Amino acid sequence: MRLLDLFTWLETSPVGAFVKDKGATFATIEAVHLMALAVLGGTVLLTDLRLMNVILKDVPTQTLAFAAHRWFKIALYTLLATGFFMLAGVATKCYHNFYFWVKMAALAAGIAFVFAIKMPLLRGNVDELQPATLKLVALASMSLWFLVAASGRWIGFS
Amino acid sequence: MNELILEFARWLESTSFSVGLHESFYLYNWIETTHVLTLMVSLGLLCIIDLRMLGLCFTHVPASKVAERLTKPMLAGFVVMFATGIALYTAIPVRTSQSLWFRIKLILLLAAFINALLFHRHMKASVDSWDLAPVPPARTRVAAGLSLALWAGIVTTGRFIAYDWFDCGEPNPAWIDAFIGCTNPAA
Repeated sequence: MRLLDLFTWLETSPVGAFVKDKGATFATIEAVHLMALAVLGGTVLLTDLRLMNVILKDVPTQTLAFAAHRWFKIALYTLLATGFFMLAGVATKCYHNFYFWVKMAALAAGIAFVFAIKMPLLRGNVDELQPATLKLVALASMSLWFLVAASGRWIGFS
Repeated sequence: MNELILEFARWLESTSFSVGLHESFYLYNWIETTHVLTLMVSLGLLCIIDLRMLGLCFTHVPASKVAERLTKPMLAGFVVMFATGIALYTAIPVRTSQSLWFRIKLILLLAAFINALLFHRHMKASVDSWDLAPVPPARTRVAAGLSLALWAGIVTTGRFIAYDWFDCGEPNPAWIDAFIGCTNPAA
């Protein structure tokens, strides 16, 4: 089965039909997607600006990062769920859309970065890490998530 | 009132700045992308503050500290948000002025602003008694919940502006045409 067949199947499935049926369904899911994006952005900025020593310097990095990570996960799962529904409505269009694949690549990189690099690093002994390392991690994290959001918006333009 | 708004929108539409924004493909898209990305800064940090006031996160950090330290970067985000928002309005002024969703969005924005001002005053007066409490008092939580609900409405109506469901010329109920000021139903 080719990948395109999978996308076509998704769009013609009951889920795809449900999202497509009324314009308001898609738009409402999109609005929830945007609210979750805001929360995700807030938690990413809070952690990363702390790592860069810009905000809340007197709050321990780890306690802040772990608390933020809980809400990051809630936002991420909401984004993935609403994103899946949005994709179901316009799957074949997305398949042929360059920015959709840019976004998927950035998203995969972002998720891998958070769960395989950033959080394991922060769970270790943060004090032993070079400040430059932490700043680099923060910069990479913010760049990745802003790229995910920007390429996501750009899907709709083409 | 509606005539004045329409007159202003038509004048704005005729300016070279508006035409330039409207006609350019990439500039308009970049402004809109910036508008959406700034959501992560402004609304993102606002959500963090509100979640703290609801007692749902960062309960180990004093409430006033979360509010004070995040306000500046949040406001910086809002400045970019409003600037890009005004640019987006300038690009398509007539249709936007007569959009049901745009008008509801402005009302919700005003409500959110008043709520934030009242909350700020309430916080200044009483925060000393609950600053370290993991879960702030009911009045604080109501204001934070209201803020989140209003912003959810602002995001939703903002997204809906792109759809033409209740545009002038659509078969709208009379009260909607009156509310959005369709003095030019044929336009």
